[in-house]
Amino acid sequence: MSSSHDVARQTQDGTAGGRTEARTTTPVLSVRGVSRNYGAVRALVDVDLDIHPHEVVAIVGDIGAGKSTLARVMSGALAPDTGTIELDGRPVTMPSTRDARAHGVAAVFQDLALCENLDVVQNLFLGQELRRAGMLDERRMERRAWELMNQLAARVPSVRAPVRALSGGQRQAVAVARSLVGDPRVVIMDEPLASLGISQTAEVLNMVERLRESGLGVVMISHSMVDVQAVADRIVVLRLGRINGDFDAQHASYEDLIAAITGITPTGRTPRRPGPDGV
Amino acid sequence: MRVGGAHACILGYVGTERVTPGSQSSLREANRARIVSAVQQRGSLTQVELAGVTGLSPATVSNIVKELTGAGVLATAPTSRSGRRAQQVTLARNLGLVGGIHFGSRSLRVCVADVAQRIVADQRMPLPPDHRADAGLERASLLLTELVDSVGASMSEVLAVGVGVPAPVDPESGRIVSVGVLRGWDGVSVPEVLERRLGVPVRVDNDSNLGALAELRHGAARGKRHVAYLKVSHGVGSGLIVDGRVLHGRTGAAGEFGHITIDDNGPICRCGNRGCLDALIGAPALLRMLESSHGHLTLSDVIARAQDGDPGCRRVISDAGRLLAVAAANTCNLFDPELVVVGGRLADAGPILLDTFRNVLAQRTLPSTAGPVEVVVSELGTAAEVRGALALALDHVGIAVAVAG
Repeated sequence: MSSSHDVARQTQDGTAGGRTEARTTTPVLSVRGVSRNYGAVRALVDVDLDIHPHEVVAIVGDIGAGKSTLARVMSGALAPDTGTIELDGRPVTMPSTRDARAHGVAAVFQDLALCENLDVVQNLFLGQELRRAGMLDERRMERRAWELMNQLAARVPSVRAPVRALSGGQRQAVAVARSLVGDPRVVIMDEPLASLGISQTAEVLNMVERLRESGLGVVMISHSMVDVQAVADRIVVLRLGRINGDFDAQHASYEDLIAAITGITPTGRTPRRPGPDGV
Repeated sequence: MRVGGAHACILGYVGTERVTPGSQSSLREANRARIVSAVQQRGSLTQVELAGVTGLSPATVSNIVKELTGAGVLATAPTSRSGRRAQQVTLARNLGLVGGIHFGSRSLRVCVADVAQRIVADQRMPLPPDHRADAGLERASLLLTELVDSVGASMSEVLAVGVGVPAPVDPESGRIVSVGVLRGWDGVSVPEVLERRLGVPVRVDNDSNLGALAELRHGAARGKRHVAYLKVSHGVGSGLIVDGRVLHGRTGAAGEFGHITIDDNGPICRCGNRGCLDALIGAPALLRMLESSHGHLTLSDVIARAQDGDPGCRRVISDAGRLLAVAAANTCNLFDPELVVVGGRLADAGPILLDTFRNVLAQRTLPSTAGPVEVVVSELGTAAEVRGALALALDHVGIAVAVAG
């Protein structure tokens, strides 16, 4: 882990310097020096980020901070202008989400991209149907669909129910289950809690915990600080396209996070990385 | 589902001991009340058990149950008890619903049950560390309302709500009496906030006390009179049952097991003292011990890895069992319970925790001719606290029995 991270960790918890070096795993997915511009808008500026297995990393920030752009870069939906994505420490190119899935990185975007008229099984295996002797293997797909939904502890009335008939939380579960079909190692969720009721929020948060327990690295983008603090191991704050804080969720207070999001530097805390232009 | 027929009306609270003038009809009414309150407390029991519990003759019980079933207060279902046919008696389901809310240190669980204590809706969600009362209570009331909706009922059918919080609570006012134990909740009057929000009576107690109550009514401590229930989850707490009742003490802080001093020179606890049990074996302490060797873990990771044979995780849990036993031994020496029930998340570690716990407890308690105190794992598991909250709610719903005749 780079030395700049150590500085950030120590600012969070002065007694625990060096504790992250002892991490027993290497990152599955690393973002190295990624920048991305939309015309004159600098959406991402020199972003470094590591995702470890068995870890939930929440990315928070103000509107326009670059959260969704980062998610799209990490999931192959958007190519960075500069910088690289590394898997297990080796640089890879992921020109599409399909390539990313082949590399074990799956994403669930805000619009979920489900087909309302198809049932749960058809949605899960759309474009990746299981076949036997050239025919669709419905029985195996249905069994696998139940396995995935159970792994997420998701409550759906039936895997043969059309997605149209499901609640917002259940649709989210279907979208996440679809991302799990190819046995990914990292799942990226963009605003999974947007416009969900409280019990559906509860279901999605429980689902994030289940993904973590099954050893996946989970990246969750959200602006609900309470939900983020409930499930995340680490909280990364983006501000104006830069990383403005990398917090241990266990010890970071709500005030610390808000300060990092809004760019206030509370007394006694230093920003994670003073930029070259003195930010 | 509809509340309250013409025969059963719900009052604030009907005490169990009622003054009975000597007339035959008032005696009959007192007997009815006794049967209803017995069914209300235990959820469901057979007529034979009902006779045993109330001290009424089986014939009287049978008559009254028949009458109350006709009046829509009780419901019966055929069952068998030690091979014989029997009648299982419960409260009629259409009397209404009760809600149970359990705030843990890192999670919220909300349940809706009918008056027969059958859970009809149940949802758990993780909470942030140091969650705050305003946001937490708002979430809990929203979640309860949604769960009630999800079973096709409305909040007007909810008779009462019981709440458990991981801090000492004055059982009368429902106010959190501790300072610093549950940051962000100091001095909060939970019923005041929730009753305004939900429009139903709310009762609050410490979560470990509710765990103890649930184990006493429906779990491992059924039929016992003196019980110590130890909750070892993110935080450590206990509920003490003395003579069949939960011990609350002066302000509800009885059984604050987590704040027994174990090490005079130990780390500073969130309560401000030094070396409290909770500061030594609460989840943050356990996870901190493993951080340098295992990285960032959660409590369930530690338990899962310990069960998979990870020596570091096993050691941390077994050491926690030793310290837990040191504190439990002092407690046992003080009030000599018949049974120690170990609950909470860490109880899932089973023998890894309990082998050390039993040994050290036996060493440290006063030897008795009756042998060492019995130690069992919670029967209700992590549902104990929320089941206790349901029981608390139900205890404070008076089901007045006004049956003609």
